[in-house]
Amino acid sequence: MMKKALLTAAVVLTVGTWALAAENRWLHVKVEDGGEKAEIVRVNLPLSLAEKVLPAIHTKELNEGRVKVSEAKFKDVDLRAILEALRTAPENEFVTVESEHQNVRVAKSAGNLLVKVRNEKGKAENVEVTVPFTVVDALLSGGKDELDLLAAVRALGALGDTVLVTVNDEHSKVRIWVDSRNTAD
Amino acid sequence: MPASAAAVAGGVGTVLLGAALAGGALIYDMGGVWVSVKAKKPGGDNIRLVVPAAAGPVALWLAPKKNIREAAKEARPWLPAIKAAAEELGNCPDGPLVEVTNPHEKVLIAKQGGALVIDVDNPNETVHVSVPLKMVGIIAAQLEAMPDAEAAHGNAVEASESW
Repeated sequence: MMKKALLTAAVVLTVGTWALAAENRWLHVKVEDGGEKAEIVRVNLPLSLAEKVLPAIHTKELNEGRVKVSEAKFKDVDLRAILEALRTAPENEFVTVESEHQNVRVAKSAGNLLVKVRNEKGKAENVEVTVPFTVVDALLSGGKDELDLLAAVRALGALGDTVLVTVNDEHSKVRIWVDSRNTAD
Repeated sequence: MPASAAAVAGGVGTVLLGAALAGGALIYDMGGVWVSVKAKKPGGDNIRLVVPAAAGPVALWLAPKKNIREAAKEARPWLPAIKAAAEELGNCPDGPLVEVTNPHEKVLIAKQGGALVIDVDNPNETVHVSVPLKMVGIIAAQLEAMPDAEAAHGNAVEASESW
């Protein structure tokens, strides 16, 4: 009897803690500009805020947390078709371009879409973007001509601590990540 | 004084006291809007303004209706989002939301104890603004409930035609 009660308490505590953690997720953006201005910008946004605010916005492009993409062709590139193809493809390295001054690598690894760009011409720059496919799935879960931002935010909230974007060049650093802390450092 | 008159006076006094206490509790609960601007240069202006947050919705009620309706019309698409943001921020833990730091200026937007706080510190002045989130939500709801300028104008025309 005691064992059963302890087990129940453990399950309740575990589920409760997980649910609490999922609720208190924060999206952070940190931009460090080391140039003449030497500026640091930090943004801490609770994902729960985005979850509440997105459905309350009703504009032509964004409605109920879904953004219309039918007209936005991204210079004749069908973004939705590309994302759909990547989502259904097996884990692999899709694109590797190595030139004298620039290396580009697009891969699917451990459930994430990875994009890495290393630029060595002019100002040296490293860009790394990680998009979990659960977020891609959520984005594509709406209608044919729309991206479901609200579902993507919810999917982000369900993830563990994740670094989404890092950009490093000679003068600046950008980092976008999700964790459960309400401060950037 | 007859006993019945004394009882009525006592009742009225109790109601007034109750209303004053309830009003005081409401004002205390909503907090206040704080604005402070301190000039750093000698002889510069220092401004300090504290307004009970409860005065915000009252001011909205007293302000010229035409101007408020026009403002409400402009803001209407964003009012539900503002209301939702104010409500949700109220549930979030205190902390910095936006920080900008450079050699000349420091800007901090934070949530602090039920209020949205904006601090600016630059070589000329320091600015501190604190706005209770509850007040933001109430004002947004008030604006949302207002008929927009055209609808109000239409209603007025209909009313005058019916006369």
